[in-house]
Amino acid sequence: MTFAVQDSNGFAVVQLCGEIDLRNSPEARKLILTSLKKQKHVMVDLSAVEYIDSSGVASLVEGFQYARANDLEFGLLGVSEAAMNVLRLARLDQVFPIYDSLDDRLSHGG
Amino acid sequence: MPQRTSDSSRPVIEVEGLRASWGGQPVLHDVDLSVEAGEIRVVMGGSGSGKSTLLRYLLGLHRPDAGTVRLFGEDISRLGRRDMLALRRRIGVSFQGGALFNSMTVGDNVCLPLREHTRLDEHTIRIMSRMKLEVVSLAGFEHLMPSQLSGGMVKRAALARAIVMDPDILFFDEPSAGLDPVVAADLDALILRLREAMQVTIVVVTHELDSAFAIADRITVLDQGRILMTGGVDEVRNADNERIRNLLTRTATDTEVDVDDYLERLTQGVGPQ
Amino acid sequence: MAAEPAASLPYRLTGHVGRRFVQAVEEFGYGAALLVESLYWIVAGHWLNQPVRLRVVAAEMIDIGVSAVPVVAILAFANGGMMALQGIYTLQDFGAQSQVIPGIAMSVTREFGVLIAGIVVAGRSGSAIAARIGTMNMSQEIDALRVMGIEPVRYLVAPMLLAMLVMMPVLAILADAMAVTGGGVITSLKLHMALPVYFDRALAELVPSDIGQGLAKSFVFGVLVVVVAAGNGFIARGGAEGLGRATTRSVVLCIAAIVVADMIFTLFLSR
Repeated sequence: MTFAVQDSNGFAVVQLCGEIDLRNSPEARKLILTSLKKQKHVMVDLSAVEYIDSSGVASLVEGFQYARANDLEFGLLGVSEAAMNVLRLARLDQVFPIYDSLDDRLSHGG
Repeated sequence: MPQRTSDSSRPVIEVEGLRASWGGQPVLHDVDLSVEAGEIRVVMGGSGSGKSTLLRYLLGLHRPDAGTVRLFGEDISRLGRRDMLALRRRIGVSFQGGALFNSMTVGDNVCLPLREHTRLDEHTIRIMSRMKLEVVSLAGFEHLMPSQLSGGMVKRAALARAIVMDPDILFFDEPSAGLDPVVAADLDALILRLREAMQVTIVVVTHELDSAFAIADRITVLDQGRILMTGGVDEVRNADNERIRNLLTRTATDTEVDVDDYLERLTQGVGPQ
Repeated sequence: MAAEPAASLPYRLTGHVGRRFVQAVEEFGYGAALLVESLYWIVAGHWLNQPVRLRVVAAEMIDIGVSAVPVVAILAFANGGMMALQGIYTLQDFGAQSQVIPGIAMSVTREFGVLIAGIVVAGRSGSAIAARIGTMNMSQEIDALRVMGIEPVRYLVAPMLLAMLVMMPVLAILADAMAVTGGGVITSLKLHMALPVYFDRALAELVPSDIGQGLAKSFVFGVLVVVVAAGNGFIARGGAEGLGRATTRSVVLCIAAIVVADMIFTLFLSR
């Protein structure tokens, strides 16, 4: 399963889908970091993600950290209740900027 | 909360007719057990009830004399090495003394399953292990050696290691043993939070009644290698069975004193014959 | 109760010896199984995604080998010196003192160099390996490994075996060199020979097949120490006291195994 990256309104939107676990989280990680290294602001779209494990969350954390260190924006879009539970356990729901959708972020101005 | 893609209609753990002996002595007699996905099951019993032994068979550490143990629908005594390994990656165990590897730091302990079983990047592994340490409130302690930790911290570190691979079943062997009531209650709350967030099935072997009643969905009571009953917290609390009542009220069974027998035991080989 | 004829002394003794023998065979089998499984993981581990990790092997090499260097060096040196003294003393009567040099060269490379290295390793690693595995066993660390799907033999024993197979020959060569040197110091003093002259003669006397024998023995000794010590560690029971007993037993059996293996080697290679 390969993930797509779409450029939209000044953001690179990494579209993850299905289950993010040990097998494919390295790919997600690579996509996120590659986009960030190209100096793009990144939004990770999780609206099609049924399940995300710690390795997936760790990849998001790494991306967020890199973004902050390089003055880039990083956020999550469309986080399901299930994924929120996982984030909440490690108190990461208070760390990531989380939006319902890209429009939501755009209308708030960031 | 979406389930991992697995057959969630089957019980996650199924034990049928388990019979086992240690050093020639029978220890478990015809044990039947069934744990549903997402359930918190407490296996309760006094010392010598066989509960820790039962756990060892559930974990596949020994082959039973008779009966089957099924995890995720698979008979574990029939699995080949590769399949068994895949299955083991889905379970996490917190042993009685923590069983942390004393030759490495807390951080390396938690990272170990990831380093051995995955090809994840080292950055990802470190972040994952630190996340789990945060979950058990041991953030920042990763550079300590296990010998530098208090009892409660050891248990929490062991738990972090047990959950680092996001297991589908978590086993606890006497989680509250040796902990003061406050720390034990914290651990109970953590167990409940884990089940909520990770949708994991949890099996706890314990003799601590307070913990058992606080966290259990169902309780299996074990006595002298046999299952006395399996039921919800209230069912067990109100059970009629004498041995269960004794266990709950922590009294030793008052057996009738057989005068001849007792005198014989006390005075064997003593005094004028 | 009538006295049972079975309680007679010869019967009991036989029973006792028999049980011990069966136990010994069991342990031998256990050790052999450990060896086979370790070799399996060393050879096949990579393809099964459970490789024997080189970093661990390197750490073991330092524990087993590098740390043993000072002791092996000193003991071998002293042993070489003693051999020279004894040799010169006995050969004096025949006026054949200078024959002590080929004597030392041969006996050190074939026998004593590797034996000293083996005994030092048996003492150090025979106890350390048994203690380490025994402690892990008792604190359920071995169970934890198994439950995590990490094979204890692959993770613990195989690296030790690999490290031993590398370091034992190295220690044996070191022992050979130090013993020959020790012998040289004494010989040069007693026979008023210049040290370089001694070394010239000694090196001329060295036979490659002698050195080869010593090295072959070193492999076998190394394997024996790891297998015996690990085996004793895995069966250790009973708290601190049990651990102490297991460690002692391990050292004794390691040394015994080395000596017996040495005897067998010598028997076959000295026809």
